[in-house]
Amino acid sequence: MSAITSSRADTIPSAPAAPPLVRGITRFARREFRDALASKWFLLYTLAFTVLAVGVSVLSLSGVGSHGFAGFGRTAAGLLNLIMLVVPLMALTAGAGSIAGERERGTLLYLLAQPVSRTQVLLGKYLGLAAALVCSLCVGFGVSAGVLAWRTGGVGIGAYAMLVGFTAMLALAMLSLGMLISVISRRTTVATGLALFAWLALVFVSDLGLMASSVLLKLRVQEIFGLAAANPLQSFKMAVIVNMNASLDVLGPVGAYASNTLGAGLPWVLASSLVAWTLVPLALAVVLFARRGSV
Amino acid sequence: MRLAGFGILVSLVATAVVRADDRTGVAPRPVSVVTEMIEHAETGDEIHVPAGVYEGNLVIRKSVVLDGSEGAVFDGLGKGTVIEVLAEGVTIRACAIRASGDDVTGEPAGIRVVAADATIESNTIEDTLFGIDLKQAPDAVIRGNTIAGKDLDPGRRGDGIRLWWSHGSTVECNTVRASRDMVFWYSENLRIVRNTVSDSRYGLHFMYSHDTVLEENDLRANSVGIYLMYSNRITLKGNRLTNNRGASGYGIGLKDCDDIAITGNALLANRVGVYIDNSPSSVDSTGLFESNMIAFNEIGLLATPNTHDNVFTRNAFVENEDPAATHGRGRLVSNTFAREGVGNYWSDYAGFDLDGDGVGDVVYEPKSLFGAMLANEPNLRLFVHSPAQQAIEFTARALPELRPESTLIDPSPLAEPPTIELTLAHGSGSGGWRMALLATGLLSTAIGCVVVVGVERGLPEPKTGERA
Repeated sequence: MSAITSSRADTIPSAPAAPPLVRGITRFARREFRDALASKWFLLYTLAFTVLAVGVSVLSLSGVGSHGFAGFGRTAAGLLNLIMLVVPLMALTAGAGSIAGERERGTLLYLLAQPVSRTQVLLGKYLGLAAALVCSLCVGFGVSAGVLAWRTGGVGIGAYAMLVGFTAMLALAMLSLGMLISVISRRTTVATGLALFAWLALVFVSDLGLMASSVLLKLRVQEIFGLAAANPLQSFKMAVIVNMNASLDVLGPVGAYASNTLGAGLPWVLASSLVAWTLVPLALAVVLFARRGSV
Repeated sequence: MRLAGFGILVSLVATAVVRADDRTGVAPRPVSVVTEMIEHAETGDEIHVPAGVYEGNLVIRKSVVLDGSEGAVFDGLGKGTVIEVLAEGVTIRACAIRASGDDVTGEPAGIRVVAADATIESNTIEDTLFGIDLKQAPDAVIRGNTIAGKDLDPGRRGDGIRLWWSHGSTVECNTVRASRDMVFWYSENLRIVRNTVSDSRYGLHFMYSHDTVLEENDLRANSVGIYLMYSNRITLKGNRLTNNRGASGYGIGLKDCDDIAITGNALLANRVGVYIDNSPSSVDSTGLFESNMIAFNEIGLLATPNTHDNVFTRNAFVENEDPAATHGRGRLVSNTFAREGVGNYWSDYAGFDLDGDGVGDVVYEPKSLFGAMLANEPNLRLFVHSPAQQAIEFTARALPELRPESTLIDPSPLAEPPTIELTLAHGSGSGGWRMALLATGLLSTAIGCVVVVGVERGLPEPKTGERA
């Protein structure tokens, strides 16, 4: 017993050695989380998302009166549009501001002077921001769920929980991309600009481009599905709809094709697209951040 | 004859040895036992079949009441029709019927009736190709039966209930699941009330069957809820049609039907709420759609371009992905979307009601560019519910030359959704507390995160080792 204590006393004071990987990460994550909560963007986004989510929930239920057909499917459809617009914007700009912001303020040097590796700094920041984003989404969805429970008697709780889950996955994927942008940008303005460009590209340009090419090039359904699933936003949307309807037939021939060929594997394919969009940009960001000589 | 007797004896002994029925503990007996009971009964007698399994195909040639409420099970052993009724005025009550053949050519059924005045009541029929099949059996009553079809590919299933040339029959309070259709051929003056059909092809299917009222039926998760074909003067009242989907899924489909009245129905979350193919087809006939709730469907109303002379009034079109569309090119302007100055409620109506008379001051003319694109390029439906779709609609609003012609014109759209009284009970409200729980859970997650992480302050934190 005493031997163990003494050996611990021997090892711990060897201070300059980096703390264990996980502890370093969590420490930075905490700091990042607190900074995010204190920042204006976080409060603004949370407020905007909550107000819009509640608005959509209430509006999509109006006019049905006392029919008791709790239109969660319909609410979800309304929420989908909102989520696909707001959540990527939130996550991309939050990620884009993180490293580039520290770099511009000169605090990055201070951070890197801590006895931690660059990977730990980056992952810590990622986790902190991710937690802040998930918190923000929980507030929005929570209030909206309260409204649904009050107005409809809330059928479709499983589908709603899954919607929250997939939205969190989408936020994590977009946050990764934002961090990658932040690592490669020298200034915050550049990073924010790139993030907005990425947002525009993913939300509008890729879909409109795919629509145009599917018409002009007469793409086959499997090609359209493959290309659409490569877009994290479309993957997110399809995953939510599959989970709600057990089939994608709502999305016409392409959706019916996907449901018929992939069957029960479809949600997994779509989820893995989201996971890939989380892991690949984050890994790239880690590699680039570690390599980068300059601060 | 002796040989047959010997055969029965052998099979009796064999079955007695091999298995005993799990419910009663009595070994299965051949159905000839029941045939003998019927032979010894007088016309009109009530026969209480003792509990047990009766194997084989029963043919009833005498007007009797067959009551299986003591626990009688008729097992067709996978061959032919289980019970066939050849005599008039037969009642079959509270029997469990199972395992007809599955060969489509003989159309084996649970119960087949080919005589008038039959009463088929409170039976449970399962694993049969057709459930209850009436052929030239007028004035029958089919009430309170539960029917589940064979576990076959939908294309190979038989009909849960089929009426063929059986006028004046009543079909009420039956529950049919996993069959093909509940179908009515050449049968008039029927009463079709409070039946539930789910997971089948067509919930209620009318072929050349006129003058009938369909009331308060519940059609769920079929390919089509109610499909009327070449059938005239039919009233649909208070039916509920939900989640009828599939490649050509409709809540209500109408094909070449004259003088149809559809009032007070709820059509919810179907692929298409109402599909109209050339109805009404004759000159001087009309179709009436009044006070229906048409909500949450991909397309509220879909009609072929030649459709004309339908009147829509006091319906609520709520949150359909596309309120109304034409099947092919063209518009629905040969139909009337208001009667005596009362139109319909459209949840996407962007007009206003300044004078407060309950009727919008501008006409309702839906012009969806994306909808028009979908008509030509169905693959684009993949992109519904996305910001890109909104972008296209926004562009069309900004650049009027891009806007397509409106599919329809409602001259007097209602400013508020009309009150629609539905008689059918709806499942609702039961999960309210769970949703509230979820809301609480989500919010407390957020608060918990903030509290837990916010408690510790400062960076870098002093290390325990350093303090020591």
